[in-house]
Amino acid sequence: MESGISLVDVSFGYGKSVVLRRASLGIPRGGTAVVAGRNGAGKSTLLYVCAGLLPVASGSVTIDGHAPDARHPAALMGAGVRRGFVFQEGGLLSNMNALANVALPLYYHADSLQLEPEQVEARARAALERVGLSGNELYELPAHLSFGVRKRLALARAIALEPNFFYFDDPDVGLDPATAALVHEILCGYRDDPAVTMLVATNRDLLIDRLGVPGYTLRDGVITPRSVPQPPPRLPSRLA
Amino acid sequence: MAKYSLYPRRPTSIAPDPLARLGAGALGGASAARRFLFTLIAGVAAPFAPGKAAGVVCRRIAVRQIFFTGFQALPLVSVIAIFVGATLVLQIQLMTARLPAELVGQIVVAVVLRELAPVTTAIIVAGRSGTAIATELGNMRANSEILGLASLAIDPMRFVVAPRLLGTVVSVLVLTVYFGAIAILSGYGFSVLLGGSSLTALRSGVGDALLPADLPLFLVKGLGLGTLVGWVCCHFGLEVGASLTEVPRKASQAVMMCLLVCVVYNAIVTAGFYWLVGPIH
Repeated sequence: MESGISLVDVSFGYGKSVVLRRASLGIPRGGTAVVAGRNGAGKSTLLYVCAGLLPVASGSVTIDGHAPDARHPAALMGAGVRRGFVFQEGGLLSNMNALANVALPLYYHADSLQLEPEQVEARARAALERVGLSGNELYELPAHLSFGVRKRLALARAIALEPNFFYFDDPDVGLDPATAALVHEILCGYRDDPAVTMLVATNRDLLIDRLGVPGYTLRDGVITPRSVPQPPPRLPSRLA
Repeated sequence: MAKYSLYPRRPTSIAPDPLARLGAGALGGASAARRFLFTLIAGVAAPFAPGKAAGVVCRRIAVRQIFFTGFQALPLVSVIAIFVGATLVLQIQLMTARLPAELVGQIVVAVVLRELAPVTTAIIVAGRSGTAIATELGNMRANSEILGLASLAIDPMRFVVAPRLLGTVVSVLVLTVYFGAIAILSGYGFSVLLGGSSLTALRSGVGDALLPADLPLFLVKGLGLGTLVGWVCCHFGLEVGASLTEVPRKASQAVMMCLLVCVVYNAIVTAGFYWLVGPIH
């Protein structure tokens, strides 16, 4: 599979710890997949590898047919691949306030996104509003924001670039139910968008059920397909 | 009672073969050298990558770096230059009381302009800004900020390394000129105050000692030392792994390495200069 996200016989490890053993995965362009696995199974690492953020020891990774180079992350942008990555934690620039965090990639890629400088801030504010952030929170440093707000900020930063390849690492962990529902809604929106290819790492059954897309399980460095989640069987009426 | 280990290591079933350890060490060294070179090459090449808007963003960061590394260091450089210049002239006059003032001027040029100014400035920049650079980049690595930039297709070499490299190069070059001027002026002032020599005699000594070849020497030293400070500090900052406790260790290593390479580089360039120019009378 050349388009979408493709991982063929990829091995990766941190020093002597092997995380992926000849792992293979394919998501067609416009498709969505969910990766589940126990804590520490390597879901985040798998997402980094699939996004081309980490160089692999062996095997091949392609995004929309292009091989990403971890040393030249801007190269894919020229090939029309706009990645959005929502980290489980961290990843925000600690010396920039929330608005600047979202506006920075827009300023940086203003020419390829065909944005005028005055449009950048408006687009950043729109992305922040979409995740429910506004007011004084926009001018706070990430360290002064709660975990949930930081998570939404990371989401806003990613969606501001209008990516066509989206990676979510435990997107609803640590969020209150209302915010988690908002995030699920955004994810379902991207799932239904044929222009967006998405990979979600999560253990939340609720999210997996809501997305209802092909899933994989990562265990001992090996990726195995899961069956498409089915609605839970209805209980017999006498037990209901 | 079992021995308690504060830092338990991964258990290994096979005793490591000494030859294998040697090979692994050599491979690790080669990999580290490759990463070290990559930091410089990518940092220098990054500003020439396509993307006009990215260039504008990175230029703004470079200006801020020059302000912090160069302009804000002026008071410290001034104080050190005043005392270095004064001490040097006093020592020369104490030791060579019978020598003509022109010779004192020549020695001041040779020692201050060719040697002390570039090295002392590089050491000041390494101690003041080099630690800041290594610490900042180390924290960015440990907090996944570098990975976060890469996920946004922002090249860390262009956004983080190149502006800091430019900042140290420009700052060391300009501060070296400034240091030399202040040190010589201070030396003159103390010399005249103490009645050791006349201003005119010293000035003619300095004028005689300055050679056309001093300009390229000055540039080679300033550019080289500035590059070394920025390169070493950026590299050590980016070498931090996932632990925040590595940050101070890497920052300290960066500054120590800076001192070492700056002194060695200065000695090599000086030797090359005198080999090319020959003895100065």
